[in-house]
Amino acid sequence: MVGYIIRRLLYIIPTIMGVAVLVFVLFTVAGEDPVRIALGQHATPQAIADLEALWGLDQPLWKQFLDFLGQIVTFDYGESYFTGEVLSEAFASGALVSLSLTLPPFVLGLVLNIAIAMMIAYYRDTWIDRFATATAVISMSFSYLVYIIAMQYFLAYEFEWFPINGYAQGLDAIPYLALPWLIIMLVSIGPDVRIYRTIFLNEMQTNYVRTARAKGVSEPSVLFIHILKNAMIPILTFTIVAVPFLILGSFLMERFFSIPGLGDLMITAINNGDFPVLKGMTMYITMTYALFNLITDLLIAAVDPRVKLN
Amino acid sequence: MAVQKVSIWRKTPQLVLSALLIATVAVPIGCRPRDGAGNTDVKVLDSFRADVYRSLDPPRQFDVASARIISNIYDPLLEYHYLKRPYELTPNLLESMPELGADKLTYTFNLRKGIKFHDDPCFPGGKGREMTADDVLYTLKRFADVNVNPQSYPALLQNRIKGLDDFREKTRQQKDLDYDQENIEGLEKIDDYSFKIVMTEPDPLLLMSFATSPLSIVPKEAVEKYGRKLEHHGVGTGPYTLAKNPRKGVMVLKKNPNYHGTYPTEGDPEDQGQGLLAQSGKKLPFVDEIRIPLIEEAQPRMLKFLNGELDAIGIDRDNFPKMAEKVGDKFKLKGKFADQFNISSVDALSSFYITINFRDKVFGQNKALRQALAYAIDTPAYIDKMENGRGHALNTIVPLPIAGSERSVSVKWYPPNLQQAKAKLKEAGYPDGKGLPPIVILYGSQDNITRQNHEFLRAQLAKSGFQLKGEFLSFSDYLGRKEGGSFQLASGGWGADYPDAENFYQLFYGPNKAPGPNDGSYQNSEYDQLYQQMRRMPAGEDRNQIIEKMALLLKEDVPVVFLKAPISVGMRQKWLLNFKSNLMLGSSFKFLDIDTDAKAKGLKK
Amino acid sequence: MPRLHINNLYWDAVQQLSRRKLVLVCIGIIVIYVCIALLGIFNVLPDYQTRVSTGYEAPSLEFAKLLGTDIFGRSVLYKILAGTKTAMLIGVLVTSISVPIGVILGALAGYYGGVVDVGIVWLYTVISSVPYILMVIAISYVIGKGLVAICLAMGLLGWVGLCRLIRSEVLKTRNLEYVSAARVIGANDIQIIFSHILPNVVHLAIISASLQILGAIKSEVILTFLGVGIQDGSSWGSMISDATGELVQGIWWPLAGVVLAMFLIIYALNVVSDALRDALDPKLRGSTEGAEGNAPLDVKAAAVQKA
Repeated sequence: MVGYIIRRLLYIIPTIMGVAVLVFVLFTVAGEDPVRIALGQHATPQAIADLEALWGLDQPLWKQFLDFLGQIVTFDYGESYFTGEVLSEAFASGALVSLSLTLPPFVLGLVLNIAIAMMIAYYRDTWIDRFATATAVISMSFSYLVYIIAMQYFLAYEFEWFPINGYAQGLDAIPYLALPWLIIMLVSIGPDVRIYRTIFLNEMQTNYVRTARAKGVSEPSVLFIHILKNAMIPILTFTIVAVPFLILGSFLMERFFSIPGLGDLMITAINNGDFPVLKGMTMYITMTYALFNLITDLLIAAVDPRVKLN
Repeated sequence: MAVQKVSIWRKTPQLVLSALLIATVAVPIGCRPRDGAGNTDVKVLDSFRADVYRSLDPPRQFDVASARIISNIYDPLLEYHYLKRPYELTPNLLESMPELGADKLTYTFNLRKGIKFHDDPCFPGGKGREMTADDVLYTLKRFADVNVNPQSYPALLQNRIKGLDDFREKTRQQKDLDYDQENIEGLEKIDDYSFKIVMTEPDPLLLMSFATSPLSIVPKEAVEKYGRKLEHHGVGTGPYTLAKNPRKGVMVLKKNPNYHGTYPTEGDPEDQGQGLLAQSGKKLPFVDEIRIPLIEEAQPRMLKFLNGELDAIGIDRDNFPKMAEKVGDKFKLKGKFADQFNISSVDALSSFYITINFRDKVFGQNKALRQALAYAIDTPAYIDKMENGRGHALNTIVPLPIAGSERSVSVKWYPPNLQQAKAKLKEAGYPDGKGLPPIVILYGSQDNITRQNHEFLRAQLAKSGFQLKGEFLSFSDYLGRKEGGSFQLASGGWGADYPDAENFYQLFYGPNKAPGPNDGSYQNSEYDQLYQQMRRMPAGEDRNQIIEKMALLLKEDVPVVFLKAPISVGMRQKWLLNFKSNLMLGSSFKFLDIDTDAKAKGLKK
Repeated sequence: MPRLHINNLYWDAVQQLSRRKLVLVCIGIIVIYVCIALLGIFNVLPDYQTRVSTGYEAPSLEFAKLLGTDIFGRSVLYKILAGTKTAMLIGVLVTSISVPIGVILGALAGYYGGVVDVGIVWLYTVISSVPYILMVIAISYVIGKGLVAICLAMGLLGWVGLCRLIRSEVLKTRNLEYVSAARVIGANDIQIIFSHILPNVVHLAIISASLQILGAIKSEVILTFLGVGIQDGSSWGSMISDATGELVQGIWWPLAGVVLAMFLIIYALNVVSDALRDALDPKLRGSTEGAEGNAPLDVKAAAVQKA
């Protein structure tokens, strides 16, 4: 077990190296030139050289890459070119905000969508099933952007149910976050319910369920006790992998609702060529992603006796 | 499916579902907070920002978003008069305007006494001390330090003050220079409240640099205590202090009760009638608290403004047709908007044009071809169709509110004329465009508006025989191409660094050729001589005559074709008082006032 | 004989699809959209740049003004038609890049195993651990933004889910009896992959392709909103981005028009890909572990949607 975990952790290293090379190449070779953007039109060559020196961009590329590797090991990505912020601090506070935006609807949505999916599976092949599946497909057929534009306009402005945008510290943030939460949940219902429904239907056709039914166990308790328990394995497999990306928040939400999370930081950084921010963020995400993959596998092994770690 | 017994279990999924739905929807309703203060005791101004600032340390920034905040916390020595147009320098931290010595090279500055820095832990006892000449000299040296300021020095002070460039060179060699040990020939302290600055050559425009935000006065104690953290803090003499400063979210500024400034006592002739002089001579600032949330998207911004949660907002091209219209020379709000809000418009301090590259084989040696292009573009139609009339067709490159613009010189630009365009094209050797290869024009952005503008130009030029092709680049690539001189035409613009014609005419000065500001590498020795002469002259009729000659030369040679000088249009709530757009001030919050009763009522809708 | 079995599968699928009315309607919608796109490619659609009236005219019964006009008085309907061409083009381009990559790499990894497998698995692990949107934007910067750039970017990143799926399927099939038999007869690797293994996973590629198309169309909206997509007004993304400023002033028709246009095709694609999966994926017809094989595709679609 311990050996397995150590080996898996070692596997992360080549992945990180790969991501490092990819990110470095994409953003140094191409992308916006941060020096140009900062200095604007008619910068003197001396000014360009001075700023490059200040940001270490005058170093040869291999040296810059080695420095990057050093940063990965120390978790210290320095400061943003544009705002001078210490990135470890900016990431920490931004990640918390992003999680406050994405985690509640993620958890709530998980429970809600499983409940809906179970209901549909229970009523499979009736009008309820057909209606719900059709609704799910319809809800998936609108752009995420349209949901945001329309719901902000109607629910927040026309009907005045929610504040238009904003953010506050601590629990005061809840009223501001309510509409974004609602939208995120609403958007997740369609695709998630469909997956969960398939999972449930498959579980319903397994032998142990047939056995249970044959033994006279009532259908609801089959659904809740046997099927739900077994269906949790595939469900968790899909959902846990999504957790690292929750840290990134949702940049569209963050822009429209003025939520100071990490998603928008990333988009701004891309447009400004703010390389330290991009480097730091991708590496953090890569590492959490790998970590959560490992956690998923361990969880599955713990829940499902058929799976053996090796 | 076997029929099941009805049990409570059967209903469970629905129950869970409805409980969850109710929980998520019911919590927020009923506790809907609104921005914008309903409290009438405290005067709150609700502004917003569309971009994150880069740095609040004055010498470390040179962008609009940063300058806007810095102008409220720090003060430069001089500032532009809030009400008078054309823009005019007035003393800010000074007793009076600096005096020019008989040698035409030395300015003597006299500081106002009793100006205090904000209270801050960096000072002994946390009490802000008085600002003196030492602070100014420290600020100037720090401004010139290449390790602090790689950005704004070349534009503002390079080659202008004796010995300062050498000092900058020295900081490039040695990182932690002790400023106190360094004597600079052109900076001389007389006593605690006065100092002299010696220029390298007569330079009437130098003083304008002292009204820009990067040259705001910063106390040494703050730099020593906060270091790079000063980029997110603020210790100045300005009208406001920084109460809350999240990177994004709501910034809050609080009134500095010890601020030295007073509301101007004179203005333009029409200002009196508009109530802009009602508070003449009163102590600034009027508003107690300014809230500045970051709102990046247009939709929430406009929704909040309509709700009364923001006090002022710009009207962009998308919003304009439904909300406002141009009647004659004036802009008016339409329908219900007119009852609810006030409109304002102001001539922007920038001009937009197409640069022609003189290094290009087709255009460089063919004056008639360049003139044909000038005749072919119908600028008034462009402004009318593409900008809803929010712009001026220019006769010289200088925007109207700037000294030395077409208001003081009489030059008329080419009128749009299809016949003339065709005739000139024939003269250029391309009758009806035959034999003329497609012309490529560069753009420094790829957005929708740029593409639409290009489409308009393309269609228009096609009428006289030009085939226009657009190349849409990222901003940094665009700059690279322009400075490398590898382009034919480039669509671009120039915003005034300071409100003087010189800032625009330098764009055609031979020695400034690409990679310098003269992107098109226009070369005309007569023009260069006039420019050198004009640069050193004080404002006045003689100078205007020279400017007129330069404008005529540019008209004849056509190194650029003008497109527009934009007019910015904005709306504000009726409770916002003392509002007059001033584009040379980083921020005019300190002059604004709020009718708190009206605001409280307006919010209660 | 495996080939016979495969042919039966597709024949069954066609029959099954044609029995369902909704699916037929949806296929009809897709065909109409494809026709519009073809008209666009041959340049016979009305020019959306033409001004048919003054700015912002509400919908009326005249053909060009059926869906109203935009800020410059251009027909919203014409813009939507032009956008249809762009959207279909994006869907097809992205899919024709990502599906072959996914199939080939997945087959190679599954069939050869060993170093090849490790390399390919490493590659897609790297790609899937970087935020999708960041990669798409970065790659499209490298290529120079615009239509081709975002298609390449999405295509070069979109193969991961399919590759994973094909790899695991091939892993299962490569040791089946008929494959071993083919090897004994002396067929070489390429022959085996193409004639014995790929036919067994093609249905996965088809399902994946239908999902990719709709994913790409939806992603274009987001990318254009972020400023890396198609910017000349002839894409649904730029129409939706513009609408963010318009709804505030009560101008609902450009948004409504484009939302409707987009809804129809996405809905049709959703329905058809569902039907395809039901018809083509035999494991879903009552086998025990169908969900695990299929889920990554759905998750991928969900991820694209949430992006």
